[in-house]
Amino acid sequence: MISQILTAIGAMIFGVAVCAAYFLFSNKLLDLIFPAKEGGDVHRAAVNLRRRSLIRPWLFLGPALFLLAVYLMYPVVATLILSFYGPDGNQFVGGANYVWAFNDTEFRQSIFNNILWLAVVPAACTFFGLVIAVMTDRIWWGNIAKAVIFMPMAISFVGASVIWKFIYEYRGGNDTQIGLLNAVVQLFGGTPEVWITIPFWNNFFLMVMLIWIQTGFAMVILSAALRGIPEETIEAAVIDGANGWQIFWKIMVPQVWGTIATVWTTITILVLKVFDIVLTMTNGQWNTMVLANLMFNWLFRGGGDSGRSAVIALVIMVAVTPIMIWNIRRANAEMKGR
Amino acid sequence: MKKLLLMTVAVAALAAGSALAADLKFQPGQDSKFNWKSYDDFKAAHADLKGETMTIFGPWRGEDEALFTSVLNYFTEATGVNAKYSSSENYEQQIVIDTQAGSPPNVAILPQPGLLANLASKGYLTPLGDDLANWVKTNYGAGDSWVGYGTYKGKDGKDAFYAFPYKADLKSLVWYVPENFEEAGYKVPTTMEDLIKLSDQIVKDGGTPWCIGLGSGGATGWPATDWVEDLMLRTVSPKDYDGWVDNSLKFNDPKVVNAIDEFGKFAKNAKYVNGGVAAVASTDFRDSPKGLFTVPPKCYLHKQASFIPSFFPEGTKLGQDADFFYFPPYASHPELGKPVLGAGTLATITKDSKAARAFIEFLQTPIAQEVWMAQSGFLTPYKGVNTAAYANDTLRKEGEILTTATTFRFDGSDLMPGKIGAGAFWTGMVDFVGGKSAQDSADAIQKAWDSIK
Repeated sequence: MISQILTAIGAMIFGVAVCAAYFLFSNKLLDLIFPAKEGGDVHRAAVNLRRRSLIRPWLFLGPALFLLAVYLMYPVVATLILSFYGPDGNQFVGGANYVWAFNDTEFRQSIFNNILWLAVVPAACTFFGLVIAVMTDRIWWGNIAKAVIFMPMAISFVGASVIWKFIYEYRGGNDTQIGLLNAVVQLFGGTPEVWITIPFWNNFFLMVMLIWIQTGFAMVILSAALRGIPEETIEAAVIDGANGWQIFWKIMVPQVWGTIATVWTTITILVLKVFDIVLTMTNGQWNTMVLANLMFNWLFRGGGDSGRSAVIALVIMVAVTPIMIWNIRRANAEMKGR
Repeated sequence: MKKLLLMTVAVAALAAGSALAADLKFQPGQDSKFNWKSYDDFKAAHADLKGETMTIFGPWRGEDEALFTSVLNYFTEATGVNAKYSSSENYEQQIVIDTQAGSPPNVAILPQPGLLANLASKGYLTPLGDDLANWVKTNYGAGDSWVGYGTYKGKDGKDAFYAFPYKADLKSLVWYVPENFEEAGYKVPTTMEDLIKLSDQIVKDGGTPWCIGLGSGGATGWPATDWVEDLMLRTVSPKDYDGWVDNSLKFNDPKVVNAIDEFGKFAKNAKYVNGGVAAVASTDFRDSPKGLFTVPPKCYLHKQASFIPSFFPEGTKLGQDADFFYFPPYASHPELGKPVLGAGTLATITKDSKAARAFIEFLQTPIAQEVWMAQSGFLTPYKGVNTAAYANDTLRKEGEILTTATTFRFDGSDLMPGKIGAGAFWTGMVDFVGGKSAQDSADAIQKAWDSIK
């Protein structure tokens, strides 16, 4: 333990020192190669200065670019290569893993479930987040309400799963139902159900958990955006006789549209990576499998198959990429506007 | 800062000191039913390991982890090795992650020969040597079978002995509460036909015969595979069973579909199971036997392996408050005799070291087995242990089945490729109990099997 802490501290000091040394020495080296005073030759000196300012940013960016390449590009390329190899990554199998994927019922089930998640969760989170942000703005206990709604954000996905397991808990026969949902159902005279085993609908019971967690995030961001709307536009609308509904849709929403898009896409990317909830609640059984869990199962269960899991990983990456590109482009466009 | 550092060092030293003086459950030399000579001999032979560290990864959690630690304490005490045990709910995945990431434990103890064979084929296991294999062969009941379960093809394609069997489970058991049987006037059945008759009788008397729970977190469904395996052994020949395990007999063969349907007769009969069919898949297997002990009983019968008393209510006396009978064969299949289904955990070296080797040697000593035997939930096919050490007659009865066995069949799902035995088979059984037909479930499992060939 002690030695580990000391190693960590040592590594930190060493890392910072190496970084500082890199910047100092590379700068010095640049100055040496392109000196500012070339024996009184003003023209050469000016050229040197220009060259230096051209190279310097790349020098500073260099380590970051290198690390990005190592940590982002290399894994992508390695995964792509693995996807053409057999279970242990030694035997070339061509496109067999891809053929398998599109013929596998479990894979298709996962794609279908992922699309369900994508259709429901980001929309629901953004909608609830926006509605709550608007409503809590007008009431005196709005901040308390916001704090409560934001709280699930602080809980880990696995922690949330444990909480929701007790909400969906089912006890057989004449036992007292300890699950909240079944207790409520029983109170109104219904028959208790094993919620997480009902095919198709169980997907929605899992989605509710993510909506519960993420609505707070959407609410906080959107509420900040709503605060940014100039009072005058709303006052003008009121004077013109707009009702609350019109103010919301015609004045507020268009002005925070950019933020809505950001929140939506952020949650979309999160949903594509959903894993913990499914693992802890059903582990993909009862037709709730999603891509991330399928990939994990193929990679690690029963000895593992790196080829097939690589295919699934690539599918997830391909699905996330367009959303990320769109997000970055939009952010860039907004930056240019300023 | 220096003071703080010194203080931390002192605390760490204290903690390390107390770990070395681990409390031993039974004091060496005190109880004659234990083979203390084996402990002393082992201690004398491994005095040179003091200060080494090793990590052990195993499937035991909760109650079982405490029991295993009580055994491990003797190893620590004898050698001075600082041994750390860890486990994971998803140990099947965790061990693959650890080995592939290049940071395996020194010793991995796993209940799945199929998974171990897979790890061996990738070169992650260290062979234990032919001497040990021969030792197992001569000292274990049905030794040949056990050597077979520990022998796999390595990365070089050659067979070698990789896994030492330590701790066995007996699966063909039905648990009941003798008192409840007496009160209701039920008799222990000796044929499957009688067992079904008894179940019907219990229903007629207004009770529920069975508690069945398939829930097990990410491994939900495995208890059902035990049912199907036991029913396979009771409806088809052992040869067919072996064929089923290596898929030379297809999973959707009528023989297998029939066994799944036989299981359905119990699990998919709302009158037979506590809580109705819906509760079967969602009830955790660890909670499931508790229904035996309620007043009035929620169920009278519970089919589960020998480890289950670990999950009985605290203070349950085996043989008195709870007992077992052998899951009976069909009278209509007299040619199959009395087959026994079992399983066990196998210890392998995933990162070679002197301490790891010493630990495998330690598991060979009678004392390493007797300490656990004397508590609960431990059976061994090792003939060199003193059966008087078993905590009660129930365990002794089970242990004797193992040591006197000439041959017995290992849990089929643990022998199948991991993707099937620890995947498609589970999901298939969950789907089957959830409403799918036996044929459709079997077809889906066979399809999954075809896809990994």
